[in-house]
Amino acid sequence: MLAFLIGEAFRDLRRVGRVGVSAVLLIALSLTALGGFWLLSINLGRAVTQWRDRIRIVVYLKDELPSGRVDELQRQIESTRGVQRVRYVSKADALQALRHSLGGQAEVVEQLPRNPLPASVEVTPDADTATPEGTRALVSRLAALPGVDEVQGGAQWVEGLAQFQRMFRLIGLSVGAVLALAAILTVTTATTLVLHLRRDEMEIMRLVGASDAVIRFPRIFQGMTQGLLAAILALAVLEAIYGLAVLRLEPLLPLTLGLQRATFLSVPQMLGLLGTGTLLGGLGGALAGGRARP
Amino acid sequence: MIRLQHVSKVFGIGPAKVPALTDISFDIDKGAMVVLTGASGAGKTTLLRMLYRDELPSEGEIEVAGFSVTMLGRADTARLRRVIGIVFQDSKLLAGRNVFENVAFVLRVLGTPRQEITPRAFAALKAVGLSARAQAYPHQLSQGEAQRASLARAIVKAPSLLLADEPTGNLDDETASEILDLIWDIWSRGTTVILATHQARLVAQLKRRTLRLEGGRLVKDEG
Repeated sequence: MLAFLIGEAFRDLRRVGRVGVSAVLLIALSLTALGGFWLLSINLGRAVTQWRDRIRIVVYLKDELPSGRVDELQRQIESTRGVQRVRYVSKADALQALRHSLGGQAEVVEQLPRNPLPASVEVTPDADTATPEGTRALVSRLAALPGVDEVQGGAQWVEGLAQFQRMFRLIGLSVGAVLALAAILTVTTATTLVLHLRRDEMEIMRLVGASDAVIRFPRIFQGMTQGLLAAILALAVLEAIYGLAVLRLEPLLPLTLGLQRATFLSVPQMLGLLGTGTLLGGLGGALAGGRARP
Repeated sequence: MIRLQHVSKVFGIGPAKVPALTDISFDIDKGAMVVLTGASGAGKTTLLRMLYRDELPSEGEIEVAGFSVTMLGRADTARLRRVIGIVFQDSKLLAGRNVFENVAFVLRVLGTPRQEITPRAFAALKAVGLSARAQAYPHQLSQGEAQRASLARAIVKAPSLLLADEPTGNLDDETASEILDLIWDIWSRGTTVILATHQARLVAQLKRRTLRLEGGRLVKDEG
């Protein structure tokens, strides 16, 4: 029976002709747009994660602290809530770093009567704290520690990127939803056309006592097939666009987003796209023609 | 097999109401052949459609083959129709399929095991004398052959009830006779048959119990 019903669905696909092709193309367009936004969102997300890992808070220590107190303060900072790891930078280390950054002008440092740079502790916040609110709270906690002169750093600019990513994803979902609706309606129209072409078969099936499932299955399967074909087409288009874009844009990624390379959709994500297309098509087929008359 | 109790059918609402059937009651036993007669518009087709639940009565109860027709849901309606074979005035053959495929189509959509489909379809075609035309398409058939194919399709699922709505309406006398002979054969093998016709000649020829409708009312039940 299943082979027969699938055969009927393919028979209908042949019948529906250009309208069916339009349905496939429209679903493909919708999925290409969705997939494109998804791909960009994934890569932006990777950039956000990477930059979050690079968030640093610098705790500048008071000059007059004895070395024993410095060790104790470092331990206090390490044990502060929201701190993942710390790195102590002594006054000498700071001066050396300044010499390095000045490059050819390093002899200026030698003219200084004394080392003006304070010792500091570079603090890496943990993942939960690496947010604007989290880093603000951590800065407050660290600034309250005795022996701390000043605390600098935060996550605002990374959050700006994260917000952009969220907005981008939202726009992508909205555009995708509109296109998906259009795709469903097109499949519904194509399937309704098939129902019209198939009305004699449907009438006979109804009169001889075929179940609702048998009457509906061919049009749902037809829709699913159109959806799957469209998803395969969308993936192929996405991969082609990605290949072209990577050639041109990948050299700019380290400078702009801090990424070494872009990534395409993973295998589960591709399967997800194929599944979405199949579902859209099946939904269009199911909605066509309403329910069979009893 | 069939019981109608005070069945009425009204189409339309308000001032546009049209009574199609009024207070119809009768019983038909299993294995009977009954002729339903009356002029065009008397209500024959409406009555037959109610037996397979393509129409619902406005009033009254209908029982067919143990099913209370007025109470059926969608799934039970499909079950009811599986025990009923229907033949129409126009054969309603599927144009894109040959005669064999038209008959086998019924078995396929009902989920008949694959190995049974071909022998049963050919047996039905043999019963109506169309074995030699199994590969022909509907447009290649005469009207008589098309109606035979329609009969084969109706009986291939071995229904307990055959409804024939003006099966000879488009046929010449000789071909009509052949179709009636086939319906007679089907009945003689135990199938309950209700045959609707406006042709008095056929009513006389069949000499069976006759239900006569006039203006939607049952005016005669004899034989």
